[in-house]
Amino acid sequence: MSTERAFATAAAALLAGATAAAQEIPPLPPPGIDLPHVVLVSVGGEIATSCETSLERVGCASGGETFAPETWTRDLPDLGLAARIATEDLRAFSRPDGVAAPEHWRGLAERLQQLAGDPGVDGVVVTHGADGIADTAFFLNLVVPTRKPVVLVAAQRPWSAVSGDGPLNLYDAVRVAADPAAAGKGVLVVANQEVHAARDARRTNSYRMDGFGSVDLGPIGVADPDVVRFFTEPTRRHTHRSEFELAGLPESLPAVEIVAAVPDAPGRLIDAAVAAGAKGLVVDGAAGLSGGQLEALRRARDQGIVVVATSATRGGRVPETAALRESGIIPGDNLTPGKARTLLRLALTQTSDPAEIRRFFAEY
Amino acid sequence: MPGIRAAALAAFLLPAAAEAQDLPVVKLFTTGGTIQSLGKDRLKLAEYREGRIDGETIVEAVPEASRLARIEVEAISAVSSTRMGAEQGLPLARQLTEELARPEVAGAIVTHGTTTLEETAYFLHLTVRTAKPIVVIGSMRPWTAVSRDGPLNFLGAVRTVLTPEAGGKGVLVLLNDTIHSARFVTKRHTYHIETFVSPDVGPLGFADADRVVLYRSPVTRHTADTEFDLDGIEELPQVDVVYGYQEASRAPIDALVKEGARGIVLADGSPAYRNAVLEAQAAGVVVVQGSRKGSGRVVLSDRTAARSEITADNLHPQKARILLRLALTRTTDARELQRIFNEY
Repeated sequence: MSTERAFATAAAALLAGATAAAQEIPPLPPPGIDLPHVVLVSVGGEIATSCETSLERVGCASGGETFAPETWTRDLPDLGLAARIATEDLRAFSRPDGVAAPEHWRGLAERLQQLAGDPGVDGVVVTHGADGIADTAFFLNLVVPTRKPVVLVAAQRPWSAVSGDGPLNLYDAVRVAADPAAAGKGVLVVANQEVHAARDARRTNSYRMDGFGSVDLGPIGVADPDVVRFFTEPTRRHTHRSEFELAGLPESLPAVEIVAAVPDAPGRLIDAAVAAGAKGLVVDGAAGLSGGQLEALRRARDQGIVVVATSATRGGRVPETAALRESGIIPGDNLTPGKARTLLRLALTQTSDPAEIRRFFAEY
Repeated sequence: MPGIRAAALAAFLLPAAAEAQDLPVVKLFTTGGTIQSLGKDRLKLAEYREGRIDGETIVEAVPEASRLARIEVEAISAVSSTRMGAEQGLPLARQLTEELARPEVAGAIVTHGTTTLEETAYFLHLTVRTAKPIVVIGSMRPWTAVSRDGPLNFLGAVRTVLTPEAGGKGVLVLLNDTIHSARFVTKRHTYHIETFVSPDVGPLGFADADRVVLYRSPVTRHTADTEFDLDGIEELPQVDVVYGYQEASRAPIDALVKEGARGIVLADGSPAYRNAVLEAQAAGVVVVQGSRKGSGRVVLSDRTAARSEITADNLHPQKARILLRLALTRTTDARELQRIFNEY
């Protein structure tokens, strides 16, 4: 054991002792009180991971392990103040980092649809790796047809970390899922005492506590110490107002690739994507396309490939300009390339008519 | 030939002008402020005491707006925003209610100085019973300045009023292409273009070059859903704001109680306020606990409840004052007042 590791272990033991002495668990409500019923689904993530020491704050140095969801209810009995909790272990749907593997998105959505359809369930919380949570949330936002709260939650630090954000994020996520005011607002992402709408949520920092934001807009509410409060709600279509149906989706979604606009890039990558069977392309930063890329996009469009542009500035919409219109490229609104790709893949299951796809990007 | 190019561009961006009488009516109420102010020369960005233009001048300077709507101008006042208050706000709210009831009126725009713009906007948000859009605008640079923002803010407001999704969202504030809810917006800089922000929540949408987009709807109560009624109200109860800072004395609170204030909003506090507040409450003055921090709610705690303090949610003290004035026209009951602060 290195000196550093030995120190960390000793410090962790001290901290753990101090924590146990200092933190009192508030009294639980008496049995029989009518609390909302929340299902806590684990897809893993930092929030479900314990490292060897509490000073491992950005993932585990020695490859820590995810734990079963019962650990949460044992470590954090306070969850029982906010809801009656049932847990479900769907860690099999994630990669080791807790990111829901896209090949399991559909399975996850189907399970959430079932849970939300259960009249005994008031809300669902899904834990997820911090990376990729916004993309999974947006997919679910488009395909899970429910008014009940579906709340995705992540932590920037492992569950075992000193001053870990996991416990509070999890507690807040359960409170949001149990709150009737959270209904009908689409899939939500809760972290750092804020409630974000899935469409606009993004990871904004790789490891600090303010790791999630809604760029351009802002959170739609807060999970404050006293109450959950919503200030706004999203106007774009989602969940119960979405026209996408899980049952109607093909086994695998149409292939869509993301291409970064680079002023001196050749068009080869675009040609290769088309040759490999892409039905759509997302171009990040349309204004910076090289001549070669523009040529390749023209060839792709002639073959019926749909092209959507996102803004590489990561703030603001892609405005519908005369140049874009002439080139037949569809503006991707203010979506990130990853989210534009998800929406385009779903849209391509319905149509390849550019006018109709334009409508999807204006309405979702 | 910039003129010809601009006209060609306008024709491209905007639908062909319909017959003027077929266009929807947009009311423009002017109150003054930087957007109507003139500087000595075009580089005077922050000094502009050389008189004011009227609403008609704004309309003439932005002919694109008149291709979209018939603009009816009404001058309410011609003052800087620090001179605005209930004296102008009450008649303005009544006129807006009356004009917006006309079927041919699509919505209204109000020009305002920027310093207290959020206060008038929130007052209208709480009192004008309508589902039609009201957009409050101002500008950060005077009408005479190089790169002035006034004309585009006005055009953005007209386009927003004519956007169907803008209805039912309460009073909107538009500067710098950004559409905010009157409930959340505040002025955060003394002179930059990107001065207006909505801390905690962000804007509702944008008046972009290609179209007006609204991504969000406020869920707090406002306009058509308000419980406040200005019928028969000639003046509003006196409410003042007391700022908290290190070593602050209780003198301002005592003075306000003596002067007859019905309510006091605290922007944070001071140990010296404790007894002054208790005495004020005993004298029937309502005290609301606000925060000077600029974002975040004042959290309801056992302590605030024990002191029968009302908390201002995340309203800035200057807006908590507006809400308390209106709330005091209906009740002085602490629980009821807290409900109002939770709902609006």
